This record gives sequence, structure tokens and C-alpha cells, in this order.
Amino acid sequence: MSKSLPRASGYFRTSYADELPLVQTTLQRLSLKAVLLALLVFPFFATSFQLDLACQVFLAAIGALSLMLLTGYAGQVSLGHAGLIAAGAFTAGILAKELNAPFWVTIPAAAVVGALLGVVFGLPSLRLRGLYLAVSTLALHFVVVYLGGEYETKRGYSTGIVVDPPKLGGFELIDGRLWYFVMLAFAVGTLLICLNLLRGRTGRAWRAIHSHETVAEALGIGIAGYKLLAFVVSSALTAVAGALFAYYRGFVSVEAFSLFLSIQYVAMVIIGGMGSLLGAILGAVFVTLFPYAIENGMRLLPGAEKLAGAVFAVNYAAFGLVMVLFLVFEPQGLVGIWKRLQSYFVLWPFKHRPLASGRR
Amino acid sequence: MQLYVNIAVLASIYALIACGYVLIYRVSRVLNLAHGELMMLGSYLLLTTASLFTGHPYLAFAAAALLALVVGALVYLFLLRRMTGEMVLAAVLTTVALGILLRGVMVLIWSASQQYPREALGWANPAIALPGGARISTFALLLILSTAAVYLSLFVFLRFSRWGIRMRAAGQNPLLAAQRGISLHGVYALAWGLSTFTGGLAGMLLAMDSGLDGTMVVIGLKAFPAALVGGLDSLVGALLGSLIIAAAEIFLIHHVDPLLSDVVPFLVLIAMLVIRPWGLLGTKEELDRV
Amino acid sequence: MRKSGLAFVAIAAMAAVPAAAQDAYLVGVTGAITGPAAGSYAPVVEALRLYIDRVNAAGGANGKPIRLIIQDDSAEPSKAAANAKKLLTQDNVQLLINASLSSTYAPMVAEITRARVPLLFTGGVCPKDVYPKANDMQFCTTAYAANYDSRATLSFVKDTAKEPVRLGLAAMAIPISRGEIDFAEELSKTMGMTPVDKEIIPPPTPDYTPFATKLKDANPNWVYSWAPWVTQVRTLEGLRKLDWKGNYIAWAHIESELELARLKDANLYVVGANSLFQDNLPVHQEILAAAKAANVSYPPTQMTEGWIGGMAVEAAMKATPWPPTPAKVHAAMQGLKIDTKGLRGGPIEWTADNHFRTKQYYRVYKWDTAKNATVLVKDWFAYDVTQ
Repeated sequence: MSKSLPRASGYFRTSYADELPLVQTTLQRLSLKAVLLALLVFPFFATSFQLDLACQVFLAAIGALSLMLLTGYAGQVSLGHAGLIAAGAFTAGILAKELNAPFWVTIPAAAVVGALLGVVFGLPSLRLRGLYLAVSTLALHFVVVYLGGEYETKRGYSTGIVVDPPKLGGFELIDGRLWYFVMLAFAVGTLLICLNLLRGRTGRAWRAIHSHETVAEALGIGIAGYKLLAFVVSSALTAVAGALFAYYRGFVSVEAFSLFLSIQYVAMVIIGGMGSLLGAILGAVFVTLFPYAIENGMRLLPGAEKLAGAVFAVNYAAFGLVMVLFLVFEPQGLVGIWKRLQSYFVLWPFKHRPLASGRR
Repeated sequence: MQLYVNIAVLASIYALIACGYVLIYRVSRVLNLAHGELMMLGSYLLLTTASLFTGHPYLAFAAAALLALVVGALVYLFLLRRMTGEMVLAAVLTTVALGILLRGVMVLIWSASQQYPREALGWANPAIALPGGARISTFALLLILSTAAVYLSLFVFLRFSRWGIRMRAAGQNPLLAAQRGISLHGVYALAWGLSTFTGGLAGMLLAMDSGLDGTMVVIGLKAFPAALVGGLDSLVGALLGSLIIAAAEIFLIHHVDPLLSDVVPFLVLIAMLVIRPWGLLGTKEELDRV
Repeated sequence: MRKSGLAFVAIAAMAAVPAAAQDAYLVGVTGAITGPAAGSYAPVVEALRLYIDRVNAAGGANGKPIRLIIQDDSAEPSKAAANAKKLLTQDNVQLLINASLSSTYAPMVAEITRARVPLLFTGGVCPKDVYPKANDMQFCTTAYAANYDSRATLSFVKDTAKEPVRLGLAAMAIPISRGEIDFAEELSKTMGMTPVDKEIIPPPTPDYTPFATKLKDANPNWVYSWAPWVTQVRTLEGLRKLDWKGNYIAWAHIESELELARLKDANLYVVGANSLFQDNLPVHQEILAAAKAANVSYPPTQMTEGWIGGMAVEAAMKATPWPPTPAKVHAAMQGLKIDTKGLRGGPIEWTADNHFRTKQYYRVYKWDTAKNATVLVKDWFAYDVTQ
């Protein structure tokens, strides 16, 4: 459909329409195909533990992408992400438990609840910025979690609400491989939603707000509307992730949505690299798999048996350490490393791009 | 009567913790979300010094407090110094990450079980009867007194001492301050040291009053709404905010539902953010973007 | 668009540890080894490990070692779920153990129900699912258990109190503790006591005095608390600070032996199902010796609960013929009788529809100021566990 543009040799677009296609070069098309193929074939070779890890990654990716939309593009900081995930999970859990509502009702319902909460979370953003906004979302997180806890206690689900696996036409969704594809579909769907929003008017408005609010307003962008829109879209997507979590794990309970979860999502965005959807995905992969990697690494150390008690504290500390290291030494995140690598190979033997770098 | 004593105790706990948030924010516009962990680290240090200097409780206490001061300055010099000039969010997240790191390290060193530094120091904690039939434990009283002393000396320090004036100058306009020859790094390190010192002091007194375990971190976070309600860059504001939050909390425990005491500080906080984001006594400022 | 290529590589790399050729009985453990609740659960996991190490050193079960695969869940439900999935699908364990907060139960139950692998609770409160008619796959060795504990405690209060009981109640604001204290409130009314106040205390509270003030103002002569140890003891300390002189009765968690000696409170009773180390039974000496040899990081007096868990694992595996499968372990556990060697009032017996125990024994201890030691106030008394 579109012309294939060479990658390294400059900026040759002659119309705005050229900016729009998602896939621009032959190499991109090929690698996209390769990745898709790998993702489709993967479950047929993976153990069920690896499938579980993959599902966790997809789930985290949905959350990280939606947070990236909000923080990385629209520039609105949120520390209340766990509250939104909780809201989605509780919506799905309560509807499934109380009304026996099926999968295809609870997921959209979670999205609606998320969107409504997004308005609530977003309202302070009309007056607040930066740190203060982050704190207000943090406060809202506590409110959501409190309400969830009250529901649990009042209804007597003292050890959490057990959610039955979703049924699709009399067929229970239990199999890990099936879940893999469901999660993959949702993750890819989220990615496409994000890509489409970002390459259009909305995305440009968000970026304008991010770089300078006053200028954005002078350009005729409705600040309030677009800010709220960012919160609504991001929250709705996050709540869907929460609902999926409830079904996938088969339970809902407030303790699963601690402040630490919010921090993990923020870490994904930071470690991955601000302002890049690729970064959100890389961050999700990294943060999800990191603890397992550390654990396996510790096991290879001599005298591992003796360290058994310490492994977990080390793991916890290591997560903090890696976050610190990224913030201090690689503020661009994983995506920064990736871009440097890419430029190195694409431009070799040269070091710098001739003109404005390609769109990414 | 007991009600007012309870409010006073809770308010001074919050105030002593909150002044750490305020000190750092006022000087460097960084919100230190590792304050709870640093506070806990202070009380664990006390546990260690108590076993090092057995028989000399005052020495152990002083050593721990001094160590806290040093740790705070070191945190700035080795970590946060690299974040000056970066976006504020990055600096805040660095503190979050530091908090996670510290938590892991503390479990590694001191394990997770309940500890009693007061017993380790060999001090008792008898309750004291106050006029009006109220009672207060020795260390709670000590906590109120320390809070008063800390606030008073901070006030004098910031108002009259050379370094105090430098700190205020750096907070008001770092660029101008630097051009006038004020060492920003020195000032920031001092702010971090003082903040960890007061936080550590709060942690130690709290641990001596009621014991020490991993939940202390959360208490550090609970004091945070107090700092914000009062205004993140005002010490008097922190005092006022602590009083408001503590009074609200105790009133709710006593007359409504104790469970609400957990969320209400945050509800007050939201209300405050919507009405007057810079807090009761804070300076109205152009807030930073990401 | 090469994003997930990296993911693929990383995930493939996770395959690092494939399931080794089976040469041992495999038991998966997930416990709160770090995090805020670690103080109550990490010692359980440590003791469990110690016990199984000893079993293996003595030749294991049926000539094969028992391998514990331990995971940390920080008392976070989603981590527990991920751990359970990993233990079940990658390590292919034949038995899963939970030593964590009750909030981790639901996700683990969801996993084991699918995988048909038995789940043993040890260290965390026994859920009602293990009472008759028990859930097929869930078992429990933990001392404390909803409803039975309050029955035992309140009947002890009734027998001990000379005047009419005005009962104060204190719970932590977690569902399991609140539920039990609500139950105790109702129960106390039927037993002729007057519940005067019920305080539900949020977990990390900087100062317990406000709650204690409210309790004291209601003027109870007994206060009963069934909550994690922190809440129980800090509420008591708050009350004592306010010069309340009544009797306080609480659950004897693993911390209680050291804490009784620390508090030296003459009117503090602890109700428990484990014998304390002051009994100095041979089994206690065994634990002390083992703890000393292994240089453990938690006090040996907190090891009882994990030790009993170890006994259950040993008994279950010895009754499982080689090669083990989850179904065989499950079958063995249905009719298991675990000799607790005096750590409990009697053996733990499981039947097809009772995975708790057929008789639940209780003891009451308190601190005796005159003797300057912990003393037994009431020796073993039992409740039949039936529907």
C-alpha cells in the first residue's frame, strides 16, 4: 500500500499521509511478520510455566501501555494505577459473583467503570500538575482500595472473591495456551488503540500539552477536554487489564492492589523509556521477568542452598537497585539502549543521523 | 482529656515525620518517598548501636541519631546529587526505588521479626498520670517534647544561622543562590541529613514506645498527607497539618468508624488539593511538569 | 515493531531450569518471607526447611529425599498465584504448602483446584474449607482456626471469671480477624456475657492509644483479641498505659512465648494449641538443637508451627508409595494421623471429609509474677470437630 522508505538515509516524506502508515519500511514489515510468527508459534513450544510468564507479560503490557499513554505522552503523572486495576478487577469480580454476568458483559462493564473513574482521577489534573497530581491520584488509590475492602468484608469474602473461569459458549477458558492467545489479542488490541490514538489529532494534542500547556492552548487545543480524555482512555484500558487479571488469576482481593503495584507500573514506564510505546512493552517484559531471572541467577551461585532464606530479600533489594541504576545512568530506559544499538547498526560506519531522526 | 492527649501524641508523631518531607521539599523541590524507609532505618540503627554500646544507652541513642544524619547526607551525595537538574518525577521515583532497595536490605540485615530497641537499651516506659485523669507513656511524652524541640530549633536555625539562611535561599531561587556562592550540593546534603535525622528520631521514639517491625514504613507514608495539607514547603504548615489530620483521625476513631481513619487523611488531602493545592500555609507556586 | 522479539528471547531464557529427572518427593512452598507480614510467617518456612533437612539427613521418605521448593509471596495474592502456577506447572510438585496471609488463599485455591494437587496450610489461619465437610484438596495443620478458637477462649473466660463478664473485643482490620471477632461478639451474647465494645484497628497504626481509650471507656473487665500478634499486644500495651487493670486474653501466636516474658503482665492470658518450650519435652530439645546447629535467623521458640508442618509433610510422603503423584499424596493425606510428639494436645488426624483434625486441643498460659515464669493456667481441653 505505502511506499517503502529507506531507513537510514534521511527524511524523504513528501506528504502528511506518508507519516501515517504504521509500517514504513520493508525491514519493519519483515520484522513485524517475524515477531508475529514467533508470538503465534511460541505457545506450541512453551511449557505451561512459560505460558504463564507470557500471560503475565501481556497483562503487564496492557497496564504499562495505558500508563504510558497518560504519563509518557499526555504528561499526566499517576500513582493510582493499582487503584484502577483494582476497580476493573472488582467490577468483573462483583458482576460475575453477584449477577453471574458472563465474560462479554463484565469486561466492557469494567471498561465503563474505568472510564468513569478516569474522569474522577482526571478532575484534579485540571488544577494540578506534576507532583501534586501524582499525590492526588495516590490518594484516590487508597479510596478505591478502601471501598473494595469494605465490600469484601461486608459480603464475607474474607479470603478473597473467587472468580470462576470465563465461559465462552459453554466452554471454559482454563487452558494456558488459550489464555495466551486471549491475552495476546488484548495486548495487541491495546497496542493498536494506542498507536491509532497517538498518530492522530488526539496524540498530537497530548504531546502538545505535555511539552507546553500554554502554547498548546494558544494553538487551540482544549486542554481540559484532552487531559480528561487521556485519563478516561488510560483508565478504561487499565480497568480492562484489571478485569482480565481477575479472570486469569481466578480471584479478586484488595491486598493484590497495593501501592507497590502502582510503583511497579511506574517502574515499567521508567525502565522501558518515557514517551515510547515500545518502551512500555520492554518495561513490562523487564519488570515482570526480572524477579525470576534474579532467582534463577541466585540458584547458580555457589552455596545457593544456604542462601535460600535470603534470596527473596535480595530479590526485593535488587529490584530497587535496578530501578535506581536506570534512573541515574539510563534515563532513556531500555528503549534508549535499543535505539542506540539500532542506530549503531543502521548507520554503520557513521555515528550520526543526517537529519531529523525517523518517526518512532 | 485523654482524647486531647491522644491527639497531641498522634499529631506530634505526624509532625516529627512530616518535617522531614518539608525540609527536603522546601530546599530542593524533591518529594522524598523513601522517608518512611529512612525512618525505619534510623530505628534499626538504634538496635545495632544498642548492642554495640551495651550499658551506655545515651551513647547508643546519640550514635544512632548521628548515624541517621550521616546516612541522609550520604544518600544525597551518592544518589540524589545525580538527579539534581533532572525532571522532578525522576528524582521522586529515585527515592521510591531507594525505598524499595532499603526495605530489602533491612530485611537481610535485621530479619523481619518484631524488635524492641527500648528493651535492648534497658529503659522502662512507665505511664505518667496527667491532670484531668489522662495518662501518657514516657516515650510518648518524650516524643511530644522532641517534636517541640525539633521544630523550635529548626525555626531558629532557618531564621538566624548562616546555613539556615543559605537553605532558605536555595529553596527560593537555586540559580541566584548558586551565583551568590552558596554551595547547592552542600545545602541539599544538609537538608537530607537533617530530614533523615528528624525522621530517624521519630522512628526511634516510636519504636521505643511500641516496638519495631516492617510496618513502620507505612506510618511514614501516613504522615505525608499531614505535610501536604499544611503546605509542603512550610514547617508551621506541617505542624498545623499534623494537628488537623490527627484530630480528624482521632475524632473518627472515637465517634464514627475507626476504619475510616485509614482513608480520611487521604480524603482530606484530596479536598485540600482541589481547593488549595499548595496547602494551608504553603507558597503558591508554578507547579512543575513532568 | 520488533518489540516482543526481546520478550520471546527472555521468555525462552527462563526455561533455564527444566524439571530434573524425578529423584525426590517434590513439595512446593509459598510463604510471606519478606514484606510486612514476614515476622509471623518467615519463621514457619525456616522451621519447615530445617525439619525436612533433618528428615533427608535421616534417609528421607521411603528411601527418597523430600525436596522443598520455596517461593516468596510477600503476602501478596498475585505473587502467590504466580508462585503456585510456577510450582505446579514447572516444578510439578506433588504437594503445595501455603505459609502466608489469608489473602493469598483464594488465588492458590483457584490454581490447585484446576491442577488437582493437594494444598496444605501451615502457619496461616485454617480456612473453613478444611472443616467437615472439607474441600477435597485443602488440608491444614495450623494451630489457629476460625470459630473453634473463640469458642475455646470464651468458654475459658466464662469458667475463670468470677463476676459477670463485660467483654471488650479487638480485631485487626483484615477480613479474617474481623469475621472472627464478629463471631465472638455473637457467641458471647449466647454465653451470658455482655460485649461492651468492639474495636477494629487498621493494620499499621502509629498509636494504639486512641483505640485503647475507647475500649477502656466502655469499661470491660475482659478484653479478647484474635488478630495478628502486633495488634493483640499493642492494644494490650495501650490499655495498660491507660491504667486498665482487667484481664486480657489473646491468641498464642508463635511470638507469644518470648512476648509473655517480655511483657511480664500478670493478667494476660494466651490461648493456644501448641505447647510452649518451657515444657521442655524431648521434641522441644530437638528443635532447639536443630536451630542451634543451623544457625537460624528467627528465635527457635517460633519454630513450632513450621515443625508441625514438617511432621505433616513427612507423614504424608512416607504414606505415599514411590513414584509419587499428586493423586497418591492426596489419597495418603485423606487418612493421615500425624504424631505431634507433644507439640499439640494430641495427634492431627485427617479423614476423608475432615482435613482439619478430629479433635482440636487448647491450652491457656499466662505469666506468673511470683514465679517469674510462664505458667500453665489450663491444661489441654479439646473440642470435637464435627459438622
